[in-house]
Amino acid sequence: MSPTKPGAPAAPEEDPDESEEEETFDPRAPRSNFSLFPLENLLYCEDCKQIRCPRCVHDEIVCFFCPNCLFEVPSSTVKTDGNRCTRNCFSCPICFASLVVAPTGGGQAGPYILLCNHCLWSSAEMGIEFEKPTSIAAQLAEKLKPPALAKVTSGSFTSPLSPLSASSEGYFPSMGAPTIITPDDEEDKRELSPEERFIKLKAHYAQQKTGAGADEYGGSPGALSRLMGLYSGLGSGSRSRSFGRGIGGFSNMGGKGKLEWAEWDAVKEIGDDGEELVEKIREAGFSRTTSKEQRIAQNHQPRFIQDLKPLAALLRTKRSKRCRACRHILVKPESKPTTIRFRIKLVAMNYIPALSISRLDPTAFNYAALTPLSTHQFLLTITNPLFDPINVTLATPAKTPGSYPSTVTILCPTFEVGANTDVWDEALQTTANPPTTAIKKGRKTGMLIGTVWDLGRNWTTVVIEIVPPLLPLPGELDEDGNELATEDDRLVQVPVSVRVVYETDLERDDGGLGKEAKEKREHTYWSVLGLGRISEKMPTTATEDAAGPSAARPMSLASIAGKGVTGRGGAVEEISGSKVNRHSVR
Amino acid sequence: MPPKQTKGEYIETDTGNKVSRKSVILGSQNIILGGKTIIQADCTIRGDLRRTVAPSQQSGNVAIAVGRYCFLSRSSVLRPPGRTHQKPVPTYVSPRPPVVQGADQPLLCRTFSYCPMKIGDHVFVGEGSVVEAALIGSYVHIAKDCVIGKFAIIKDCVRIEEGTVIAPNTVIPSFSLVSGRPGVVTDELPETAQEGLECRLPNYLIYNIIYMIAGVQTLTIGVVKNIYRMI
Repeated sequence: MSPTKPGAPAAPEEDPDESEEEETFDPRAPRSNFSLFPLENLLYCEDCKQIRCPRCVHDEIVCFFCPNCLFEVPSSTVKTDGNRCTRNCFSCPICFASLVVAPTGGGQAGPYILLCNHCLWSSAEMGIEFEKPTSIAAQLAEKLKPPALAKVTSGSFTSPLSPLSASSEGYFPSMGAPTIITPDDEEDKRELSPEERFIKLKAHYAQQKTGAGADEYGGSPGALSRLMGLYSGLGSGSRSRSFGRGIGGFSNMGGKGKLEWAEWDAVKEIGDDGEELVEKIREAGFSRTTSKEQRIAQNHQPRFIQDLKPLAALLRTKRSKRCRACRHILVKPESKPTTIRFRIKLVAMNYIPALSISRLDPTAFNYAALTPLSTHQFLLTITNPLFDPINVTLATPAKTPGSYPSTVTILCPTFEVGANTDVWDEALQTTANPPTTAIKKGRKTGMLIGTVWDLGRNWTTVVIEIVPPLLPLPGELDEDGNELATEDDRLVQVPVSVRVVYETDLERDDGGLGKEAKEKREHTYWSVLGLGRISEKMPTTATEDAAGPSAARPMSLASIAGKGVTGRGGAVEEISGSKVNRHSVR
Repeated sequence: MPPKQTKGEYIETDTGNKVSRKSVILGSQNIILGGKTIIQADCTIRGDLRRTVAPSQQSGNVAIAVGRYCFLSRSSVLRPPGRTHQKPVPTYVSPRPPVVQGADQPLLCRTFSYCPMKIGDHVFVGEGSVVEAALIGSYVHIAKDCVIGKFAIIKDCVRIEEGTVIAPNTVIPSFSLVSGRPGVVTDELPETAQEGLECRLPNYLIYNIIYMIAGVQTLTIGVVKNIYRMI
């Protein structure tokens, strides 16, 4: 996605008379990545009468559940035990597939191991076996508990802060600052693993809490114990760090504290002596070091595969969504984790028409090789989900934005789409008085400007013509060594401004039968149609789209620009008729 | 009403299932098709792999149950998952299998047995995919060249991308997008997933396919092209 290219022959033309608000939506602009969404992802606020994209809704967690055992986890447990399943659900530290509890003894007898059915990693590789096949998480936590814990609890408790607070330079031995650490402290610091240090710190803070109260930590004792619980549930410090991309919705919790721990770990590892580390890597070989994904998924960020531990399954959430503007609920799922029903579901698919694209010539299935400089006809179908007929006005720039603009023409930019009535209504109507035959259709009369191609109960099809430009061949470079036409330039993306006007019955709160109360509504939004890819072939080749149906790939990417969406109840038109004509019918 | 006797590639059953004559269906008495299900050529459905039972209990044993509006693309395979079980030694087995004797356990033997496979409604299985799941919910889209491991459980509203290999015993929760080898949940599907994954065609689409010469209208799912080929 590069909006401007050095050395490109033609800059995207800018109409001087167009104001800032009415500027053509450029699907190639970097910002468009954040305002284009598939229609399925958009919601609709009935109170604001506006489309709501995932960026303009507010999530609220309805329930937490484990994606593996599908048990619901109460939010109090999530607060105390953290964002991981506390049953038997683990994922493989190597390949992230889920692990199963497998018996190693004869028959179904123990001891048991955690086994990955995909890469055959097992917990036996790290020397861990379980006595019983239940409550693996607790058993694992017990086994991973460092031996130093016994030392701590048996009374040899020294102030855990002493190695930390002795001197601040002690954190950063790699900086080469002269550190004054007593030999005892030095030794202490070397032998402590993060878990051990955490346990010591926990004990220390527990003591502090009972002793001096919690004032100096800036919170109540309850808050402190909650924080401690969050960190000490199953593993250690950064256990609620998320590697499932954005699903948890809980991963930012306690971010600051985690960051400090991670930083501390990293510093300690560097302090682990670089030479020693290099020597270890040399011995083990690269095959036994961890990949980036494997490493960041772990709390202690190990460098070697042997140090990897099974990952307790991250919980998932079901979330309800609110409009950010008016706070009304747009989506409310049922709280049971396994059900897919929704109590409230206001999705844009049910409110705004859907656009879809197909080739006019049904034998031309190939969208991936549009011949340059020849006219291609597409059918643009607008489907109406509403129970009222809508008037649609389409506007598109004559040339698509980008370095290599394609010429676009919509043959019939203004038309009506029928209401989404019952299917049987149409069937009954068709027998009596077929409505579709009454209207002149392009399919029958041939392609005429201002005539729709075809229409049905709640859809209308119009013809859209494009002439793709001739692009430099791939590999042709400009004087700076950049490629003249990138793969992005070959994609034909047409921004279309869709304006929908319809009259609907006024919502009546009293349930009265005032049939005459009609309200005019209007939606205007930018939509981007992906029409295909321009071929490298020269237009001289007569057999266009010779690749045949095997390469068929529907490219009906009708995305909606959330940015440009405006819904006005009978407001003044923004796109004048003349402008529409100038843009599309020539 | 007896099944229609057509000369075409597909046999249509009373409940509207369309089964290709070129598909391989074994143990058809153990297979239930819910209706309006389409099975394309070269599909293999292993209804013969059913639970090991005593010969007397012949009836009422379903190996594969498929719901309504399912679509099995070319060269896909449905195969019930199997594993070794520990059971009390059945009396009917004449050569006694190797016996495991616990301390105070009953006489056990290890037998290999298959588990019934259940598939919900509106399930699409892509070309060349091999499915050995124990349970697939409704509104599941499995793209082509996938492998669904033994005893996997896939809940409702799941989309599995092309070439995914799901490890055995995996559980995939609802509203998940799964990809990779091994298949892990990479994203969440929107609330409209159910509509998007429906295999039944919207009515206007059927209208279009029957009455229009020009092109396929919209493709929420790769079904239309295949149906087009069939008509």
